[in-house]
Amino acid sequence: MTAPSRTIAFTLNGRPVTAEVAPHHTLIEVLRDGFGLYGARESCGQGLCGCCTVLLDGRGVSSCLYLAVFADGAELVTVEHLAAGGELDPVQEAFIEAGAFQCGFCTPGFVLMTKQLLDEHPDPSDDQIRHYLSGNLCRCGTYPQIVEAVKLAARKRGSV
Amino acid sequence: MTPFELVEPASLGEALALLDPDDPAVRPIGGGTALMLMMKAGFFEPRRLVSLRGLGPGITGINEGADGALDIGAMVRLGQLERSPVIRRAAPVIAETLVTHSNVRVRNVATIGGNLAHGDPHMDLPPVLIALGAEVVAASPSGERRIAVENLVESYLETALGGDELITSLHIPSQRNRRAAYIKVTARSADDWPALGVAVSLAVENRAIRAPRIAIGAATETAMRLPKAEAALTGGASWRDTGREAAAEAPVIGDHHGSAAYKRVLVGVTVERALRRALAGVEIAG
Amino acid sequence: MNDTAFVSTGQVGRSLPRVEARAKVTGTAEYIHNFRLPGMLIGKICRSTVPHGRIRHIDTSAAAAIPGVYAIVTGEDIRKIIPDPYYGPAFHDQPILALDKVRFVGEPVAVALAADPHIAENAARAITVEYDELPAVYDEVEAVTATAYVHDVLKPAGTFADLKHLVGRRQTNVALDFHLRRGDVEAEFAAADHVFAHEFRTQQVMHTPLEPFVSVAEAANGAVTIHTASQNPSFVRVEIARLLGLKENRVRVRTAFLGGGFGGKLYIKLEALVTALTLIAQRPVKVSLTMEEQFFTITRHPCTFRIKSAVTKDGRVTARKCEVYYNGGAYADIGPRVAQKSGFAAAGPYDIANVHIDSFETYTNRPPAGALRGFGTPQLVWAYESHTDLIARALSLDPVEFRRRNLLRDGRPQATGTVMRDAPLAAVLERAAAAIGWGQPFDRGSGPVKRGRGIAIGFKASISPTASVAIVNLSGDGSCTLYCGTVDMGQGSTTAMAQIAADCLGIEAETVRVIAADTDVTPYDMGTLGSRSTYHMGLAIQRAAADAKAKLAALAAELGVPEGTNLPIAELFRRKYGAQAGNIIGTGSFMPSHKSPDPQTGQTDDATPYWMSAATGCEVEVDTETGRFRILRLVNVADCGTAINPRIVETQLTGATVMQLGFTVYEGMEFTDGQLRNPSFAEYKIPGIRDMPARLEGEIVTSRQGGGPFGAKGVGESGTYAVSPAIANAIHDAVGVRISALPITAEKVYRALREAAGNPLPED
Repeated sequence: MTAPSRTIAFTLNGRPVTAEVAPHHTLIEVLRDGFGLYGARESCGQGLCGCCTVLLDGRGVSSCLYLAVFADGAELVTVEHLAAGGELDPVQEAFIEAGAFQCGFCTPGFVLMTKQLLDEHPDPSDDQIRHYLSGNLCRCGTYPQIVEAVKLAARKRGSV
Repeated sequence: MTPFELVEPASLGEALALLDPDDPAVRPIGGGTALMLMMKAGFFEPRRLVSLRGLGPGITGINEGADGALDIGAMVRLGQLERSPVIRRAAPVIAETLVTHSNVRVRNVATIGGNLAHGDPHMDLPPVLIALGAEVVAASPSGERRIAVENLVESYLETALGGDELITSLHIPSQRNRRAAYIKVTARSADDWPALGVAVSLAVENRAIRAPRIAIGAATETAMRLPKAEAALTGGASWRDTGREAAAEAPVIGDHHGSAAYKRVLVGVTVERALRRALAGVEIAG
Repeated sequence: MNDTAFVSTGQVGRSLPRVEARAKVTGTAEYIHNFRLPGMLIGKICRSTVPHGRIRHIDTSAAAAIPGVYAIVTGEDIRKIIPDPYYGPAFHDQPILALDKVRFVGEPVAVALAADPHIAENAARAITVEYDELPAVYDEVEAVTATAYVHDVLKPAGTFADLKHLVGRRQTNVALDFHLRRGDVEAEFAAADHVFAHEFRTQQVMHTPLEPFVSVAEAANGAVTIHTASQNPSFVRVEIARLLGLKENRVRVRTAFLGGGFGGKLYIKLEALVTALTLIAQRPVKVSLTMEEQFFTITRHPCTFRIKSAVTKDGRVTARKCEVYYNGGAYADIGPRVAQKSGFAAAGPYDIANVHIDSFETYTNRPPAGALRGFGTPQLVWAYESHTDLIARALSLDPVEFRRRNLLRDGRPQATGTVMRDAPLAAVLERAAAAIGWGQPFDRGSGPVKRGRGIAIGFKASISPTASVAIVNLSGDGSCTLYCGTVDMGQGSTTAMAQIAADCLGIEAETVRVIAADTDVTPYDMGTLGSRSTYHMGLAIQRAAADAKAKLAALAAELGVPEGTNLPIAELFRRKYGAQAGNIIGTGSFMPSHKSPDPQTGQTDDATPYWMSAATGCEVEVDTETGRFRILRLVNVADCGTAINPRIVETQLTGATVMQLGFTVYEGMEFTDGQLRNPSFAEYKIPGIRDMPARLEGEIVTSRQGGGPFGAKGVGESGTYAVSPAIANAIHDAVGVRISALPITAEKVYRALREAAGNPLPED
């Protein structure tokens, strides 16, 4: 059976865009194949690792578990947007300074979840950090440095 | 995933009409997090999905009645519940439970209605809602009915809902003067599904426990109350003995998370600890 | 040339951020995961549903009829274009797609090709295969004597001298038997004050790199290009050229950054498959596995280790006998190397006069096992350090003091006869002990909660002999490009290699451009494995830089520039060519000396160019009512010689600790009759941020590796060695029970407590 595709319209990294999607297409496929955005990556395919994180209306979602049609009308931000002006986001700077990644495959997801965390809790406790990042996995095991990076990012954002 | 038709009705009546009681390949979709897993794995190949996203404010709100009872629309996101000041005040155990449930991203998308309608035993909310005495409101072309959460799930992934019936809201009776606690036990990583979830809810009057409700999830085929343990507690049994009663009574099954024998041990210890947590700082006679 | 003659100019030892840091935080770093080509087809794999069986019939008709399907490919289709389509680094035993029979559940049997991945996936599900099931064997010890044979005949690749005696052997599941004999263990056991014997087991686990295995191939004009997430592109090139009957220069293998490797992305994984598919389809083909499929690709060996020691009454170990059975699964992959190269260190980092080791690599009907961050070493350390602790406790000796008395010291021969040099085992042990406050009183817990401490130490030899080649290219403006086949899978090699090159040339590391492995441009490197790159490639780079400097000096002399001038390189080029033009190419290669072990005794005086060591200290809190435990503190101390980039080393060390923590406390592939029950992150859990010990620390001891570049050596695996036994030893210290099979689950601890109390818990 071929399902009819439909046109959806949404804001992607600050610009209004449209896309032709079929109902069974996931959001990550559309970002990747339709817009050439590769910062979100499908890894576990089950919403458990966080590699495919994007921000939808300001909140993290797993784009591998999200039907693209449901993004119609939404405001989407991918990791590529954070340094769109050429300047790194304080969260990105903090991840570099704290050495908070190794292979880097999971890093965009951690960066975006940290952004949601700091948007909601500018001065997060250790518990809040673990809570927001408990759905992001780093197989290289860089967690101690990630916690350090989140705290550094909070300080950087606080002092801006 | 295989292609399917997606329809987005604008009213409940329209949505019900689009469901098909005779075709299991037609299903409603809320947040879709659980359905997506089944579809990606090839376990579910839908013919038509009926999106509930356009049904309007009737099923997206959180309302507190004058008596403190809560009515929560089926399309309320779990993250919305977790952050709701109303929930944090009127039924804080729900917010506390959600923090441990799945992860932030899933909770940003998954809905309370979908969470319950999925009938997955390895969920944190069902035992909590059972302990709180919650009911779902279900609508079908033949009308509306209320189903206690403890009667909603009949077996693994099988619910009492008809093929053309939808959960529209969740009703939680007033929890004023009641105390509750939930303890999640994981056997592997901390972000795992529970090996066991234990929820207790009770009132304390004149230093005595009244109307306790003890519910477990994850270790049994469906979340359920443990009436013998409740009766023992009402009858003055110690927390430890109440736990023993719970362990003896619960029809625990073994799985990836542990053997049935071990999980029975966990039931006993966790019921005792959940009671201790719910009653922290409260003086009980005897 | 003396490799240590380089005087550092300060680039080595800097904790500069990774050179690719910006690309990684902005999501723009290149991974093959994201690579696509115009006209590319996607391949989805249909896998075996039985553990062992003859293929009776493959029905592809329903799949082929799905609109949008380009082709369905089976093993027989591949055999038409590649007559002998079997690959592997040690044995040519693995078919590109199953031929005649299948040997494990999950083995690739057929592939559906389509431009749309959803269509390819649905088509793969529509392929039906009928099998005649055969008896299967799953256990590594049973495999030795079983009459169910995974392979009808053994086919060693011929590259390993120690496998030659296995050529053509039938009716066996033993893919390698390694033996080491030193002194007379039986005489010592007969005369000993004490003899201790134990058996320890480890489970099957998987690397689960977050970038799942992925390869893309394209072919044109008699040449093949493979874009692949591979840790050893040079091997892939040689092996693909062999399969296709091409010269190496007709096969190009390129990589990008790897989203994790951990030993999984070695040798051939999907490369032969995508190559065959692109030759059949005449279109570029990409195969990108799901997380689930990774579990059917490569894993870490389960292992059974029987260990027996003779000990004097004053706590000296005088003899040790080791029987090690590695479960290699259905295909050998690099398993025989694991069994041999780890096997010779199975007796541990101790000075033991009489040692007897038998190490076996076995075939079973499970997913194949290969290298996973330690090449079999963590399985060994689990056993010998649990055993060591049990002996110390039985003799009422302090576990650290007992180890101290027996530790192998510099200048003393290891069990192979090779003299140990530059392995500061004592420093590593003492530092780990001091870090967790060994010997000092601590809170032992109260009520049902008990606390304990444990310590363990492990070591490993570098796999030898292996070669690396590097090219340093100085351009007309004086800028430096480094061509090096080491693959950066997160260990920071791009940065470390830039630092080594920069230090030799006296320039800033940030200015060096490192070209990712691409066999069309980067020279040969044996592979990014076994913690070998810093030492081997580091030395090749030093030599390439020295060569470039010598050529620069020659150019200066030719131009009449006085020796020792500070004339910029660009100016030299300008004077030579009259413009910004030209290159100076420095090349260097390195391969250590090595002497093969004697086939009967395993003895050699040159087993390895260097040894790596690490010790772990652990403090744990056990809830005796449930067996659940919490790790309060985990300190991992390793020796890496000079740290090229100390911060990256520390991150790698804590990272390896976290990985091994998962393998210790809950990771495990669970099988029922050969069927894997938990191939996904839903049921195979890896450590998350909330699983971190309250305190997790990595520390490096100050040392210097003789012969290493700037005194450095590898450290990628070291953090995994001693974690598991340190935790088991701490649990024993806390509650007096011993867990001898990984993973150490709460249920196992609880059952052991009930057993010890004389009230065992029923099975279910």
